[in-house]
Amino acid sequence: MTTSKQQWGSRVGVILAVSGSAVGLGNFLRFPGQAAANGGGSFMIPYFIALLCLGIPIGWAEWTMGRYGGRKGLHSAPAVLGVIGRGPIARYLGTAGVLIPLVVYFYYVLVESWCLAYFWQYLRGGLGIDTAAPIADQAAASTSFYYDFIGYEFDGVMFGGGLHESVVFWAITFTINVFFVYRGLSKGIESFCRWAMPLMALCALFVLVRVLTLGTPDPTQPEQNVVNGLGAMWNPDLEALARPQTWLAAAGQIFFSLSVGFGVIINYSSYLRRKDDVVLSGLTASSTNELFEVGFGGLITIPAAFIFLGASGAIAAAQAGSFGLGFQTLPVVFAHMPAGNLIGGIWFLMLFLAAITSSLSMLQPVMAFFEESLGVGRKVSTTVVTLIGLAGSLFVIWFSKGSAALGTLDFWVGTLLIYVLAGVQIICFGWVFGVDRGLKEAHQGAQMRIPRIFRFIIKYVAPLYLIVIFIGFCWKDLPGAVRGILESESAVPMYSLLLILAVATLIVVVTAIGARRWHAAGYDLDGLRLPEDEQPESVPPTARREGARA
Amino acid sequence: MTTGGWIFMLVSVGFVVSLVTYCYYRVLTAPKEIVEPPDALGM
Repeated sequence: MTTSKQQWGSRVGVILAVSGSAVGLGNFLRFPGQAAANGGGSFMIPYFIALLCLGIPIGWAEWTMGRYGGRKGLHSAPAVLGVIGRGPIARYLGTAGVLIPLVVYFYYVLVESWCLAYFWQYLRGGLGIDTAAPIADQAAASTSFYYDFIGYEFDGVMFGGGLHESVVFWAITFTINVFFVYRGLSKGIESFCRWAMPLMALCALFVLVRVLTLGTPDPTQPEQNVVNGLGAMWNPDLEALARPQTWLAAAGQIFFSLSVGFGVIINYSSYLRRKDDVVLSGLTASSTNELFEVGFGGLITIPAAFIFLGASGAIAAAQAGSFGLGFQTLPVVFAHMPAGNLIGGIWFLMLFLAAITSSLSMLQPVMAFFEESLGVGRKVSTTVVTLIGLAGSLFVIWFSKGSAALGTLDFWVGTLLIYVLAGVQIICFGWVFGVDRGLKEAHQGAQMRIPRIFRFIIKYVAPLYLIVIFIGFCWKDLPGAVRGILESESAVPMYSLLLILAVATLIVVVTAIGARRWHAAGYDLDGLRLPEDEQPESVPPTARREGARA
Repeated sequence: MTTGGWIFMLVSVGFVVSLVTYCYYRVLTAPKEIVEPPDALGM
């Protein structure tokens, strides 16, 4: 059996890698839109409640479960959840921890390449938006550039009539990802995140300072100034707190922002040692994510949109969705901003770094899964994951019309399945493994203690909270998604579902192969024994091992 | 920007900046791990 020799180089390295996984496009593009559209400043009340009751406790559970599984020599989500959940049901539900990062990678790497392409475009002089034209024409020019670039109007346009520019950027981005992941945890992902995260923070700080020092750029419109721009984002609408939608949006934002229920943290923390801290590290990674989300995301995009596009522009920006805000509205804002091409370039470089630190974290758990299940080395797992990633990503690129493939994969796997996996994880941790045992395990080597209240939160509040927001999500969005598939004139949503099913089947089969291999090698696959380093000292290690295999 | 807006913004941003500062301070000032030498004497 091939055992993993991967390990982290330093504690700060693993924190930055987990933070890099969490900090993504959603911090800068999704959060401000959600907050501004759901009560402004008052959105932060349900947001921080969800952070304390959902994000941080599930994060701690994932860090702890991963490290525990790693001590038993297991690193993939199915294997680790099988140990924590004591059996094959949890193990096969844990296959979602491989399916989610792999399928999300199919489209995420494409969006990441758009950021790189926009960065390059700003280095070359911007998108060519005429600021003398009416705002509506500028917005149309920006949208036209975006639609042409991503092939929004027709399927297959990016391969028609020669090599489309976007495909070149996608190929570059894909190659960079494979290169760093192939180099491994310490030399690849950790090394990259150690300089990418500080650089990302510098870029964000630079753009933030630029936005906050804009003053009143157009003296003929004195109301469009920085302070009012901040007001467009932060002025509270307390009545929004009475709307369930606000609470759902806040919980959803926390949930997706922190990368919990994604299968990544379990894999990353499985390479920690028994005495490595997980409590402070988990909190540090979460707080880093919050800094980028609230501290940068909350102060940049909506205020900038307000300053140059006015109140109506800020509202439109908030309602435009992540891609609309990032790739259609903000280019218009940058066109008006002094030194706009420089700021735009830095902004999209920052988005690219945010995206690539996330996409790297999607590949690593999948590679670990194939290595562990099939007993293959890094080269083979890289090849397998690259081929699957290429096939899936090319599928998304080809079926680009209306972003139908992207949208379908994002809904069923990148949204719905994440709720399911997070639910499985918190129930396995709080109820099957046991919350008291789980907290005791978390406190091994911990530099801070988890407050006692979290025992209650992990066992009762978090699962209940998850169930409520999951029901709310299904009530609000599921019927539309199902209708979208059944009533669509296009077959692409159905093809996308078939792709998900094919990948899921492959992962289940590989898990079954892995389970047989793990059993044969004497691994405690169903979590029935204590880890070797916790067994009574009186029993010699060799006897323990032989006993385990008997 | 209303007074409420200022309060929500300053408290929210202040909270996350304080939290991240506290966490990194704790991480970076933690005592370096002492690598135990092999137990050559079998003790």
